Amino acid sequence: MIFVEQALQTLVAGLSVGCIYGLLCVGLALIFGIMRVINFAQGDLMMVGMYVAIFVASFVLPPAVFGVATPFIAALLVVPVMFIFGYLLSWVLISRTAGLKAASLTEGDAHQAQLILSLGLALILQNGAHILLGSSPAAMISPLSSSAWEVPLLIDDFSAIFFNKARTVNAVICVVISVVLFWFIQKTRIGKSLRAAASNSEAAIYMGINVSKAHNIAFALGTAIAGIAGGLLVIYYPVQPHVGVDFVIIMYAGVVLGGMGSIVGAFWGGMTIGLVQQLSTLFVPIQLQNTAIFVVFLFVLLIKPEGFFGRTVERA
Amino acid sequence: MKIKAALLSATAFLGLTALSAPAMAQSEVKIGLIQPLSGPWARSGEMSKRGAEMAVDDINAAGGIKACGGAKVKLVVVDGGDSPEKMKNAAQRLVSQDSDVVGGIGANVSSFTLAVTEVTERAGVPWMTLSFSPVVTDRGFKHVFQTSMTGDKQAEATVPTVLKMAEAAGAKPKTFGIVMDNTASPVAFTKDMRVPGAMDKYGLKLVVDETFTPPLADAGPVMQRVRAARPDFIFLLPTVVSDIKLSLEKATEIGLTRGRMQMIESGGPPGSPDLLKIAGKEQLEGLMFVTANWPTKNTLDLANRFTKLTGEPWMPQDSISNYGHVMIFKEAMEQAGACTKEKVSETLHKIDLKDGAAKLFPGGRVRFDEKGRRIDADIVVVQWRDGVPLLVYPAEVAALPAKWAKP
Repeated sequence: MIFVEQALQTLVAGLSVGCIYGLLCVGLALIFGIMRVINFAQGDLMMVGMYVAIFVASFVLPPAVFGVATPFIAALLVVPVMFIFGYLLSWVLISRTAGLKAASLTEGDAHQAQLILSLGLALILQNGAHILLGSSPAAMISPLSSSAWEVPLLIDDFSAIFFNKARTVNAVICVVISVVLFWFIQKTRIGKSLRAAASNSEAAIYMGINVSKAHNIAFALGTAIAGIAGGLLVIYYPVQPHVGVDFVIIMYAGVVLGGMGSIVGAFWGGMTIGLVQQLSTLFVPIQLQNTAIFVVFLFVLLIKPEGFFGRTVERA
Repeated sequence: MKIKAALLSATAFLGLTALSAPAMAQSEVKIGLIQPLSGPWARSGEMSKRGAEMAVDDINAAGGIKACGGAKVKLVVVDGGDSPEKMKNAAQRLVSQDSDVVGGIGANVSSFTLAVTEVTERAGVPWMTLSFSPVVTDRGFKHVFQTSMTGDKQAEATVPTVLKMAEAAGAKPKTFGIVMDNTASPVAFTKDMRVPGAMDKYGLKLVVDETFTPPLADAGPVMQRVRAARPDFIFLLPTVVSDIKLSLEKATEIGLTRGRMQMIESGGPPGSPDLLKIAGKEQLEGLMFVTANWPTKNTLDLANRFTKLTGEPWMPQDSISNYGHVMIFKEAMEQAGACTKEKVSETLHKIDLKDGAAKLFPGGRVRFDEKGRRIDADIVVVQWRDGVPLLVYPAEVAALPAKWAKP
C-alpha cells in the first residue's frame, strides 16, 4: 500500500515539475525554432523573471488587496516587462548575429557568433545580478507553497495524496500558457508571420513580412515565457544570481528530446524530464534522479534521434 | 673592496635595527583575516569580518595591547574569493605584503582553510580557525589552532546530546531518520550512525535513510518516505538553503510540522538570517541545529551590541567565533609580553584561559592540545523560536529550555 501511495505522490510531483520544465522548454524552443538562435542565457532570463516577480509582489501589489493570489498576479505582470526586455535585447544585440543582419556571414560563422553572444549575455546577467542584488538568496513566502489539497486514498485511514496548492495552480497556468501560445503561433496573423520568417525568411520578405521585427517578437516572446516561468517558480523556489545554471541544462535536454524547434515537442520534452526525474526515485536511489534523466534522454535519442516531434513538426 | 665593506656595514646596521625593533614601542599590531568576501560564501565571510572588526574596535577602545606599549590592533582584511586556489593566492598576498602580521584568522569553509594554512604555516604565522574538518589539525602543523570541535567529534557528541534533551522534555525516542544531501559535511556527520549496531547502545533504530543530490526540484518523494516511516525524530541535513526551504515546506504540507516531528540540522546554514528571509518563521519554528558556537545567556550583551552595530538580526556562529579569535590573540600577546608571531604561536601552545575570551566558546576554557585543537571544545544546540535562533544546549548557559516536538 505504501508503494502505491508513494508511486501516486511521485507521479503528482513529476507532473507539477514537468509542467514548469515544459514551459521553460517552450520558451527556448520558440527562440530556436524561429530564429535558429541557441540561447544559453535562457536560464538567466528566467532568473531575471524571478527577481522581477519578487519586486512586483513586494512593491507593486498590496498583499492586503490580492491576498494569496499576489504571487500569481506578480508572475503574470512579469510578462510585459520581460517582453520589452527581450525585444530590446534582440533589437540591440541578438539581431547582429542572427537573421538578416547576419546574412552576409556563412551559416557556421553566424552560429558561432550568436553562441558566444548568448554565453556572454548569460555571464553579464549572472554577474550583474550578483553586483546589484548580492549573493543572498531571495524568495516569496506564500502560504500556498506549504499547504496542499489532501485526497484520501481509501485503502486505509492514513494513506493520502497531497496536491501542493502553489505547484498545482502553477501547473495549470503553465498548461494554459502553452496552449495559448500554440494557438497564437498557429492561428493569429503575427503567429503566421513568425512561422513564415522561420520557414523561409527570403520568401517572407517578398510577401511583405518584416522578418527582423518577426525575429525580435520571437525573442521577446521566448524571454517573456522564461520570465513568467521564473515568476511561477519563485513562489516556492528561492532565487540567487546563478539559479539559471541548474535549469538551462534541463531546458536543453527537454528541447532536444521533444525535437529541436517544435513547441509542442518542447513541452512534452520538459514534461518527460520532470516525470523521469521524479518517477525514477521509485526504482533507483534518489541521488541518481538526475542521472536517470540523461540515461532516458540518451535512450530516446538512440531510438528516435530527431526527438519526439522532430519530423512531424520541423519548425514552429 | 670598498663596495663590499659598505654592503657589510649596511647589512650590520639593518640587522641591528631589526634586532632592536621589538624593544621599541609599537604603534600597531597587525592581525590578518582571510575570508570569502565575494562569491557564494560572501555573506558568511562578511559575518566573520564584522565579528573580528568589532573585537578590534573593543580592544583599541580599551587602550590596545598593553604588553606592547598600548599598540593599536589593525585588522588586515583579504578577500579570499570562492575557491581554494584563490584562497591560497590571498594567503600568499597576506604573508608577503604584511609579513609583520602576528597572527591570522580564517578562512570559513574547511577546504579554504586547508589551502590558506599551507601558506601561513610555512611563513610561521599562527592561524586560528573555526573550520570543522579534522584534517585542518591532522597534518602536523605547528601554527594552526582550531577552536571548534572537529566534525567527526561533533557527530559523536550529537546523538547522546539530542537524547538528553529529548529526555529532559519527557520524550523517549526509539526510531530516527536521516534526510541529507550527498555533500562532504553531512556524509561525514552521519557516517557512524549508519554502522550496523552503532545506535543500539542508545536504543535507537534507523528507519528511514534518504540521500539526494542537490539541488532538489521537489522534496515530495523524500519527505513522503519520512511520512511513511514515521521516525520519532530526523536529522535533516541539506546544505543548500533552497533544499532546506523545500524540505521544510513539504514536511509541513504533509502534516510533519515542527510541533509533531523533531527535526535536527547541523552546521552554519540553518542559523543564517537568509534562511529566515526565504523560509519564513513559521516553517522554522522548533527546528534545532547542532553547531560549534553561538551566543549564550552570558554573552547576550555582546550579541546585543553586535546587532545594534551591524543591523543584523542576531550574532551568528561566524561572528562570535571570530570576535573570540581576535580576543585570544590579544590575550596571547599580553601573556607573551611581545607582539611577534613567534612569541604568539609559542604562547598559544601553553595558554589556558578560563575567563574573558574563554567565555565566548562552548566549554568555557581555551587551551590547545599538541595538534592545535581546543581541548574543551563542545557542541551547542540552537533552536528556532519565534523567528530567532536561540541557544538551548548546554542547559547551564542556554537562553531558554529546549522544546521537543511530540507526535
